[in-house]
Amino acid sequence: MTLPLFLWQSVRATFTAPYRWKDILIQLEFVSWQSLPVILFCLCFAAIVTIMESSFHMKLVVQNDALVPGFAALLILRELGAVVSALLLTSRVGAGLAAEVGSMKVTEQIDALRMLGIDPVRFLVVPRLIACTVGGFILSIIANLACLYAAMVVSEIKLGYSPGAFITGMRAFVDFQDLVFASIKGATFGAVIPLISCYFGFRCQSGAEGVGSATTNSVVASSVSIIVLDFVLTYIFSHFY
Amino acid sequence: MELQDVSIDFGDGPLLKRVNLQIQSGESIVLIGPSGFGKSVVLKLFAGLLKPTGGQVLVEGHDLNALKPLQQALLLLKMGMLFQKNALFDSLSVGENIAFPLREKTSQSEEQIQERITFFLEAVGIPHARDLFPDEISGGMQKRLGIARALALNPQIVLYDDPTAGLDPITSRRIVELILQLRREQKSTIVAVTNDMARAYQLADRIVMVVDGELIVTGDKDQTLKHKDPRVAQFIRGALDGPLTETSA
Repeated sequence: MTLPLFLWQSVRATFTAPYRWKDILIQLEFVSWQSLPVILFCLCFAAIVTIMESSFHMKLVVQNDALVPGFAALLILRELGAVVSALLLTSRVGAGLAAEVGSMKVTEQIDALRMLGIDPVRFLVVPRLIACTVGGFILSIIANLACLYAAMVVSEIKLGYSPGAFITGMRAFVDFQDLVFASIKGATFGAVIPLISCYFGFRCQSGAEGVGSATTNSVVASSVSIIVLDFVLTYIFSHFY
Repeated sequence: MELQDVSIDFGDGPLLKRVNLQIQSGESIVLIGPSGFGKSVVLKLFAGLLKPTGGQVLVEGHDLNALKPLQQALLLLKMGMLFQKNALFDSLSVGENIAFPLREKTSQSEEQIQERITFFLEAVGIPHARDLFPDEISGGMQKRLGIARALALNPQIVLYDDPTAGLDPITSRRIVELILQLRREQKSTIVAVTNDMARAYQLADRIVMVVDGELIVTGDKDQTLKHKDPRVAQFIRGALDGPLTETSA
């Protein structure tokens, strides 16, 4: 199966009933709720690093770090929150999906589904695609807000900016539109992960090596796609500012 | 079921070259032949899991690959298949593996489904394994479960891909007797792949050898044993010298 055909079948099945709601909810819980701790943990550290590095370099160049809250918030909302969340989702969810679908292919479980008259794309891909898209959207909002909160706390502790001063500085650089664009990025990246992971799973060659390759290739391809899509979306969104 | 001038090529030369085979309703056909010559491919052609590069695969008079997806799915529901590696759903328990096709493809109540699970598990002799998972049961029990799942929708045609592979002789004999018993009860058509000649003779109305891109219909046990083709003679006797080993050498 070629990638365009696979994408077409997946998208077509996603927009046509029936839906396996129970599977979608199980996947949504796996993608969003179970990924939340690791994403929050990593993004809080990313926020700390962003604040400290920005402060260090601004002091070095302009002898003043007053713009750090606004600059950090801009970086978090426009790039860090959505992209880091998506890359973490790729390693946690995407790798698992490719391995799961690949193992099913190798052990003929996908052929068994076909023999039962069940479309494997509708059965395996659609619930994961819907769950990852919705999960990516929700996670990017939560991750961005948590990341901003972490940045605000670090700004107060390390740089001495009160929460009020941080928010005032932040408001000068970002507005609600940035959060909307970040969530659109999150949903888009979320959709890319299951599509690419399942595609590599469906193409998996036999044996443990085949499953390993499918998993590795899916993570690499998803990560590259997310970076490229980030550029495309950033370029498109730049026309709305 | 029928193969009409069927060819298939995976890119490194044709595996099957314009082969023909007719299978009557209720007949039991066993495919034998050296590994890698396309026995499982023939089975997957009948199951619609592979498309021929030439020719037609007819099931109940319909060209399987010319049908619309919905029509093909309906036709496939008349078939059950035991896969070489059993293809059991490893995230589902033994009982749930049998329930899965019933839940997906019938409107039976939960009570009826549970009754069917009990019936099939008893028929294949593993009622005690109902709540275990496939990786918690032995290879022979997995085969039995695979057979039970293949028969869950009462198919008219059952395809068995190496039903006795990796099993000890006693378990193999039991599995084949089970297949024959279920065939008598369900009055189904059987196409099976095996290289275990004792089991092939036990199971087959006709034996077909898949070799060198051809299908050689050798007939029943006696006809197969007396067949004049030297490849058939070498294969069924397991002789080291002969045309099959010359080809591979």
